[in-house]
Amino acid sequence: MRTYLLTRLFQIVPTVLMITLVVFVMMQSIPGDPAVALLGDAYTEEDAERVRQEYGLNKPVLVQYVIWLGKLVQGDWGNSVLSGRPVLKDVLVRLPVTLELIVLSMGVALLIAIPAGIIGALRQNTWGDYTATSIAMIGVSIPEFFIGVLLLLIFSFGLGGLLPSSGWVYLPGTCPTIVCATGMVGNMQHVLMPALALGIGRAALLTRLLRASMLEVIRTEYVTTARAKGLAERPVVLKHALKNALIPTVTVMGLQVGFLIGGAIVVETLFAMPGLGTFGIDAIVARDYPQVQGFALITAISFVVINLLVDFTYTFLDPRIRYA
Amino acid sequence: MTDTGRPHPMPAISGGSLREAELPAAPPVAWSTAARSESPFFQGVRRLRRSATALVGAAIVLALVLVAIFADVLAPLSPIASDHANTFASPSWDYPLGTDQLGRDMLSRLIHGARISLLVGVSSVLLALFVGVPLGLIAGYYGGRVDGLVMRVMDLILAFPIYLLAIILMVIFTPTAGLIGTMKVTGAIAIVRIPIYARLVRGSVLSIKEKEYVEACRALGVRDPWILLRHVLPNCLAPIIVTTTLGVATAIIVEATLSFLGLGTQPPTPSWGWDLKANVAFIQANMWLSLFPGLAIFITVLGFNLFGDGLRDALDPRLK
Repeated sequence: MRTYLLTRLFQIVPTVLMITLVVFVMMQSIPGDPAVALLGDAYTEEDAERVRQEYGLNKPVLVQYVIWLGKLVQGDWGNSVLSGRPVLKDVLVRLPVTLELIVLSMGVALLIAIPAGIIGALRQNTWGDYTATSIAMIGVSIPEFFIGVLLLLIFSFGLGGLLPSSGWVYLPGTCPTIVCATGMVGNMQHVLMPALALGIGRAALLTRLLRASMLEVIRTEYVTTARAKGLAERPVVLKHALKNALIPTVTVMGLQVGFLIGGAIVVETLFAMPGLGTFGIDAIVARDYPQVQGFALITAISFVVINLLVDFTYTFLDPRIRYA
Repeated sequence: MTDTGRPHPMPAISGGSLREAELPAAPPVAWSTAARSESPFFQGVRRLRRSATALVGAAIVLALVLVAIFADVLAPLSPIASDHANTFASPSWDYPLGTDQLGRDMLSRLIHGARISLLVGVSSVLLALFVGVPLGLIAGYYGGRVDGLVMRVMDLILAFPIYLLAIILMVIFTPTAGLIGTMKVTGAIAIVRIPIYARLVRGSVLSIKEKEYVEACRALGVRDPWILLRHVLPNCLAPIIVTTTLGVATAIIVEATLSFLGLGTQPPTPSWGWDLKANVAFIQANMWLSLFPGLAIFITVLGFNLFGDGLRDALDPRLK
């Protein structure tokens, strides 16, 4: 078990290296002088020369990459062109907001998908099943931002401002600056709509998948055996069938993490949340390339790490995988 | 040709097994007759016609294609001409879906937006298909180092969340308006989608290339490109068709998302995602302005999803 986890952990090293390579190439391909890209529009010739020296921009590309990578590893992710603040610090401050959104939306997705998938499979071809599958079909076809707009219309404007339409209240103890609004309730009020907007689409997809794999599992012999030995329906469904039906669902959930991260960028923009997504989009609009680079790096690395965690869940659900 | 019967019995090839003995002596004849019989493809089409949801999906897709083609005729007004005397007009006979903050007719913008949405959706998927399928064919068929190289590059693309990579690519391409802008978005989405097809085709090819008929072709001295095109590709077509249809739905959502983030085709070119985003600011007073572009995206994606689902049910041989 431990060897499996360790090998899997080491496997992410080349992936992360590949990511840094792509981001490096991206920074290289931005039109114009990279020194200028790093400095912004207001710079002196000495500044440019200093940056060229510092990043070895007059050396071969491969050497530049190694220098750049060395700086990354040491925690020097460059400074913002506009604010002058270190990028790594800014990025790490924003990460918890996005992670909270992603984790909660995954929770929303599972909360909807597991019961809906089970009902769809156990009551196959009844109106309950048709309702679940139709709603799931609609759910997979609505982009997150439109769900968000609909939620805004209902909860912020329709129901007399039940939930706030934008802004953020930090979880207690996570305030990144000296003064900011914190509180459990406020945080929940702010995160509820974004998490729903992001979670509903994924819920729809997982429902379809879980229904299909439940249908398969429920016809297997061990489920028949469990029933034959007189086990109540509830443990048969939840312990025997569901756990096995969840395996393909978790795999797809891992693949969905990419979509969730992208969706988070969109949903954060819509609800004006101070997460990585708004950070990245603001940086792109402002052409603050060190920040864009930091955004791309941290997002891609989070993707790899979350995928790793999903893989570990997988081994918990299916012990066969550890020994494979 | 009138001879539609089975190929004539032929002599066995060099002391071969029963399977080799069944090989057609005159392949072209055998193929032309095979096409006329009930092929899996035509069986699929028949099943597709019986599926109500697939027909609804097909109808939506067809209607949208017609709207996109005849946008110039159908749109009552120009999608980009602003009328400052009529900003934020409510839906009326003159403006069936109202006007936006620049007094542009929403209905005309939606109709022209269909063009961008479908153009980007379909052409990005086709582009991804034309690059991804050959890559998958070659990687799967030749294996070894070629396979390793191709699949590592695909892994490189897949190491990024797709929206993030699309965003990075659009930062490099710098978004612009008009046809060039549309092409940039198409390119970005295509690059992100290439690995899907490459992996899909490679997987199918790995199993197909071990089949006896491929071995027979090689034994007969048929050249690799011909084997790949005529024997391997047709046998992995069903999953490709399904993935392509569903892929258009995804591509349309990605396009709308990029536009929503301000990284898609730039204004004044009408785009649903951009229109939705631009009007969210006025959502409290004029909610229809964000509702209509959102509904347009939803219906389009739903159409392709329903059609793709129906296709999958029709083409999946396991469901026969």
